[in-house]
Amino acid sequence: MATPEKVDVAIVGAGASASVFASVLARAGKKVVMLEQGPDWQNGDLISSEIWGRRLKTVNPAILEGKDRLGYSYNAGWGSGGAATHYFAMFPRLLPSDFNMKSAYGRGLDWPFSYDDLAPYYDRVAQDIGVSGDAKAEERWRPPGQPYPMPPIRSFRHGDVWLKGFEALGIKTARATTAINSQDYKGRPACVYDGWCNAGCPIGALANPSFTYLAEARRHGAEVRPFSTVTRVLTNDKGDRVTGIEYYDREKQRQVQEASIVILAAFVSQNPRILLNSATDKHPQGLANANGLVGRYVMAHTGATIWGMFDEPDIQNYMGVLSAMHWSYDRYGKTARPGVFGSILWHCSPAIKPNDIGGIANSRNDLFGQALVDFIKRGSRQLSRLQAFGEELPNPDNRVVLAGEKDEFGFPLARINHSYDQDAIGVWQQACDEGLQIAKAAGATESWALRAAPPTIHMVGGTAMGRSAADSVANGYGQTHEIPNLWLAGVTLFPTEGAVNPTYTMYAASLRGAEHLAANWNAIAG
Amino acid sequence: MAEIQRRALMQGAALAALSFTIDGAEVWLSPSQAQAQGAPINVLKPDEVETLEAVGDTLLPGARKAGIANFVDNQLGVAPGDCLLMARIASVRPPFVNFYRAALGAIERSCLSLHGKRFAELAPAAQYDFVDRMRQNKIEGWQGPPGPFVYFLLRHDAVDVAFGTVEGIESLGVPYMPHISPEKRW
Ligand SMILES: Cc1cc2nc3c(=O)[nH]c(=O)nc-3n(C[C@H](O)[C@H](O)[C@H](O)COP(=O)(O)OP(=O)(O)OC[C@H]3O[C@@H](n4cnc5c(N)ncnc54)[C@H](O)[C@@H]3O)c2cc1C
Ligand code: SF4
Repeated sequence: MATPEKVDVAIVGAGASASVFASVLARAGKKVVMLEQGPDWQNGDLISSEIWGRRLKTVNPAILEGKDRLGYSYNAGWGSGGAATHYFAMFPRLLPSDFNMKSAYGRGLDWPFSYDDLAPYYDRVAQDIGVSGDAKAEERWRPPGQPYPMPPIRSFRHGDVWLKGFEALGIKTARATTAINSQDYKGRPACVYDGWCNAGCPIGALANPSFTYLAEARRHGAEVRPFSTVTRVLTNDKGDRVTGIEYYDREKQRQVQEASIVILAAFVSQNPRILLNSATDKHPQGLANANGLVGRYVMAHTGATIWGMFDEPDIQNYMGVLSAMHWSYDRYGKTARPGVFGSILWHCSPAIKPNDIGGIANSRNDLFGQALVDFIKRGSRQLSRLQAFGEELPNPDNRVVLAGEKDEFGFPLARINHSYDQDAIGVWQQACDEGLQIAKAAGATESWALRAAPPTIHMVGGTAMGRSAADSVANGYGQTHEIPNLWLAGVTLFPTEGAVNPTYTMYAASLRGAEHLAANWNAIAG
Repeated sequence: MAEIQRRALMQGAALAALSFTIDGAEVWLSPSQAQAQGAPINVLKPDEVETLEAVGDTLLPGARKAGIANFVDNQLGVAPGDCLLMARIASVRPPFVNFYRAALGAIERSCLSLHGKRFAELAPAAQYDFVDRMRQNKIEGWQGPPGPFVYFLLRHDAVDVAFGTVEGIESLGVPYMPHISPEKRW
């Protein structure tokens, strides 16, 4: 097969961050190709079912190790839109204190930009994709900005039941911000609150990339090339420029795609895996890895998960969205809890189905037999969930390396080691305690915390950005310190994670990076 | 996106159907229909089916009738990328049949060594007790994937077939409300 024609930009992955870069660069007139290992999902593929929704998730390509192994397959995407095809679109921002933790507290790492640098991009993303929320209420916790284009999504009784509990503990709440339409927006309809977000929202009420940045990129000529598994980034003889990428197509044939700029947007374990596998004599440790930091600082959020049974005939817990109706940053302070360091974000309550990871049955994993049947029946109208995301600090030993074992393309698997430290565990435990107090004060007739082990929610890090080549892999735009035309995008760039879902921040940072690249194209692309 | 319908309302009996071959013809059946019609089992061995059904019914009474064995067997026969089992999103590495074979084999070996009988032959109280101990990783000499993980995944399969389908969710008196009903595509 002939080598495909050289393009301006080859993006690895067609997920969330890839879509932002593709949209900005295609609009700037660049020829963009997105090489995606999975299918190019169509709306008709987004079948409303927890069971069928699993097709949207990756088949595990990694070896998972450590005390708190990552829930990799649940958290990683596969196919156009990436994990954001089946994400919940809860859209909290990081707070200013998240950006300078090392300078302010001597903990974690600093970001290469501040909240103020990112704030205009948060506001623009909200307008671009449609965000529903009450900015004024949120500004109790963060600096002021633009109002959101839509009011908050509606609440249901299973979310409102927790408010009494929050109030009793003096915790102020606000309506949660979501990238879900509370009204028709830019030709996309308002949400109908059927709770199928996890299987992908085929009507476009939820701002998944296929309806937003990816659609925009395609409109401007960007190509998604599905079933294209990228294995290596290729460099010139001197090793100072990348020339393209190697990939295997749907017939499992090796191909080379030449490009002026290569952007790796392949998520947490895959960005490092590809960089490490691209080692040459000029880059013996892998690309962008002279300082040995590629693959390090992988993070996840703990989740203090509290379930409450409410003695009411029907709290309509089957209605709503999968993200949240109410949230609170009141306990976000890094040092708000005795003896431990790290933030938490309280939020409630998702629509729940009987099955799958977040389902009714899984809320009481100890039950089986007739007791489980009875519990599912009761829970289907009376059960609700409260949760606090908890921060994990970046730890260089939580890392991705190449394993000896290889995949069908001879591409070494990623081996991911992950263990929470004492701070993360302590924050999680204290949040569990507080959550039970909230549940009691809210009037739950039964309440319990899932304490067996902290879950690993979201995944970020692995190719941290920073100010200097000595302590990071890329700069604040995503450009690697080592090779000017090799870029990185996505949550993999996060040096710290705060206690919030990552995508709003990731979108804002990607928009900032992509516009910088477009504005400085000639200097960077050469 | 005006052309997109907000809701493709499911009318009539919409079941999450899977493709089965009966008498040489491809038919679309829900796992419970497949179980009732005796759809052939292709991947699992007869004794594995027997164990899976018995463990499934212990974990969630009704799982056998809802077609746990047909569902699991059918999904073990498709490419990992098309697989709908919970094992896929619980980071089990494919081929998933390796997990099921090891898990069901471990249950059988432990039952034989502890009780001198296969799991399906145990009295209900003994089956319950065995599963309870597997859940807590308290079976001495257990050889296979960790007992609590086996419990977790098989229990999920049981919940999927009994309460994760259109039929199952509606049996709880809860509206299914699909945008795209499973049967439309499959
Ligand atoms: C169930 C769930 C709920 C979530 N809910 C929220 C939420 O409410 N709010 C929020 O902010 N975030 C949420 N997230 C997280 C969010 O989806 C991710 O943070 C986001 O999608 C990450 O964007 P990304 O561009 O870094 O990676 P992705 O969007 O995952 O894109 C990476 C893409 O790269 C492809 N790829 C990987 N390796 C290769 C390769 N070798 N060759 C070619 N392609 C490759 C993948 O197939 C994938 O499509 C949720 C995630 C999940 C799983
Ligand atoms: S609840 Fe709303 S956002 Fe979620 S799938 Fe349904 S319509 Fe889409």
